[in-house]
Amino acid sequence: MQTVRSGIGLAALVLALAPHCALGAGAAQEATGAYGYARWWTAGEPREIPQRLSYPTATGLIATLSTSGAGGTADQPFFQPLGGNGRACVTCHQPADGMSLSVETIRERWRATQGHDPLFAAIDGSDCPSLPQEQESSHTLLLSRGLFRIARPWPPRDGAGRPIDPQFTIEVIRDPTGCNGDARYGLHGPQPMISVYRRPRPATNLKYVLAVGFPFEPKTGLPLPLDPETGLQVSGNLLADMRATTLKGQALDALRSHLQFMGEVPPATLAGIIAFESGLYTAASVDDRAGPLDADGAEGGPEALAAHRGGELQYGGQPVWQEFLAWKDGSTANTQLSETQREFRRSVARGAGLFANRNFLVRDSAGITNMGFGNPVRNSCAFCHNMQRTGMDVAPGQVDIGIANQPWASPSEHMPLFKLTCLAPYAPHPHLGRVVYTQDPGYALTTGKCIDIGKITAQSMRGLAARAPYFSDGSAQTLRDVVDYYDRRYHIGLSEQDKTDLANLMSVL
Amino acid sequence: MSARVTRAAALCAILLCGTAWAGGDPQRSFVACPIYRDTDQGRKSGCWLADDPASGVRYDVGEGLTKPQEGYQVLVEGIVTQEPDVCGGVVLRPVRTAVLHEQKCPSAEFTAENYPGRRYVLPAEMMQQTWVPRPVPTPPFSTQRYVLLFDYGDDRLIYQYAETVLERAAIYCKTSGARVTIRGYAATEPLQVSGQLLREPLSLARDRAEMVGEALTRLGVARAAQRLQWQGSPVALDPLPTLGAPLPQSSLRRVEITVEPAAERGPAH
Repeated sequence: MQTVRSGIGLAALVLALAPHCALGAGAAQEATGAYGYARWWTAGEPREIPQRLSYPTATGLIATLSTSGAGGTADQPFFQPLGGNGRACVTCHQPADGMSLSVETIRERWRATQGHDPLFAAIDGSDCPSLPQEQESSHTLLLSRGLFRIARPWPPRDGAGRPIDPQFTIEVIRDPTGCNGDARYGLHGPQPMISVYRRPRPATNLKYVLAVGFPFEPKTGLPLPLDPETGLQVSGNLLADMRATTLKGQALDALRSHLQFMGEVPPATLAGIIAFESGLYTAASVDDRAGPLDADGAEGGPEALAAHRGGELQYGGQPVWQEFLAWKDGSTANTQLSETQREFRRSVARGAGLFANRNFLVRDSAGITNMGFGNPVRNSCAFCHNMQRTGMDVAPGQVDIGIANQPWASPSEHMPLFKLTCLAPYAPHPHLGRVVYTQDPGYALTTGKCIDIGKITAQSMRGLAARAPYFSDGSAQTLRDVVDYYDRRYHIGLSEQDKTDLANLMSVL
Repeated sequence: MSARVTRAAALCAILLCGTAWAGGDPQRSFVACPIYRDTDQGRKSGCWLADDPASGVRYDVGEGLTKPQEGYQVLVEGIVTQEPDVCGGVVLRPVRTAVLHEQKCPSAEFTAENYPGRRYVLPAEMMQQTWVPRPVPTPPFSTQRYVLLFDYGDDRLIYQYAETVLERAAIYCKTSGARVTIRGYAATEPLQVSGQLLREPLSLARDRAEMVGEALTRLGVARAAQRLQWQGSPVALDPLPTLGAPLPQSSLRRVEITVEPAAERGPAH
């Protein structure tokens, strides 16, 4: 929403917020607090970090709570340009975008800086580092879908950096960015790499991302893997392809790749980043159509996330998104609400009910339908999005819902396409056979296994309104697009009202 | 039981069960393409059917630890019951189905066609969330033996079955300071089923043992405390486990975990 970033836009927004500001003092405080801070956090910029920070989105406010308390950016390596390209962690994990980065913000930064912001660093902020960086056409995927280049080694490497003998060969079929065929950065370069393009995940609500809800991983049948450093089990829910399993591993990966940090990272720097991000909780806090999201029995907003335990499995008596079921009757006890507001609240509650209870046939989705439940298996969205308060997969969530793999992937002329051939004697992909065409091999670039081709880790659903577009490849521009994808993929048969209810639910998370 | 009740029961069986087993050997073992019947009784509630090619009888095979996958043949092993026909086939229980991943067949799917199906029932024993305290064994400790069954041709630990067994074994091992012997088996003797010769490679016995060893390691049992062994041509378990081994041949595909506490082992040898 471009207008909210100008002074006129802000004024308009304050007026637009006025009706729901009257609903409670909390909303008024948030609206006031939101405008005291510039939207974009520049790496290295000296600023105060408030304990609670909120920003307008297209549909309300997104709030981030820092349980480690207020402070200044000077003391927080998360905000410092630690590497060689001027970026900090905050560059791609902006509070106004739910600690991720919306494509709208990316476009705005391009316009504001003519592409000179460190955000557009050649290493991964362009389609390929070898392209002329000053040209907008060299940053197609970042500007159109908010996708950063992720360079994965080929063959894959294990946690200790040793090469894995992959179960498949890989060929580049389509290379619109030129990077997979590039002499230096490509598959046949001196250090062979596969370039895939993905959205940045929110660096917040990490208590939930790291929670070990059960000691076993049903998708493999094995107990969860161990962190070799601590000997403790890891959740497996960090990163799209689980290439790092701890915050330390993730921070090192990000520092060395996205920030181009050279040499050894000081332990205090790592500890500072981990401590800061571990204390963050982010969620939509106010909705223009519903009012405060923690009002009249609902439990939206970041405070509830900070208060509860991570990793709790939803079940029939305690369904996921139960925190909005109190709005089922449209909050009739609150006489200040308009009928429009009541209906929106009812819609959100209906969406929560649909999410947990609308069963459909899940089929041909590796990570779900090849683990003993049968293919197909009847269940709801909450089958996989089963962690209370985040909709993540407690299991953890490496699943192929078809985002990357043909034939379900959206046709994308700007995305690369790979042909993966599973080698004998290894088993073929359980649903796609020996030859799989994919835009992103996903988890298979971490494990080297055919069964993992195209699997992408399910991520937290909180703060969605602030960080469009959606899915790991940014192929869903809106929340309605997300619903449409699932309806098409699994023949759910959702009505227009169902789709609206589900999109409304997701917009208030 | 009065004659009237007996007649009523017999009539009921005929009406409800259709082709239900009426005597003779109740054991069934065959390979077939599975059929999914979309009865909607809530989550995980659909029916799985398979036709025995030898007899032409359609069986309800959906109550196994591992469910079939459309598009792949399954090995079915089960016991004929006279349970009511709610899916469109004679109910096999207990039953095991193993997906034969290299043997494709057409996907087949039926509507409910007035069959009610059955609701999914959670296993009697479920893995608890990590923060739920586990029972911890107390001295005196003694040698414990655990058995894990596997699907034909597979070394995968079966979900909602293997994890509670493994966790119990790991807790006992860690609490008692035990050494653990993990012996993997594979059904290497050929088995003629529906005109197919089914035989597991000996390497699968090792793969199964190593899979269990990895699982115990991840549950905190030191590698140094584990001894891995494997062999083919195992002897069937007697008696058969109540869960997961309808036929003696189903028990050949297994791993035995023997936990020997330090006090039981005697002096080091």
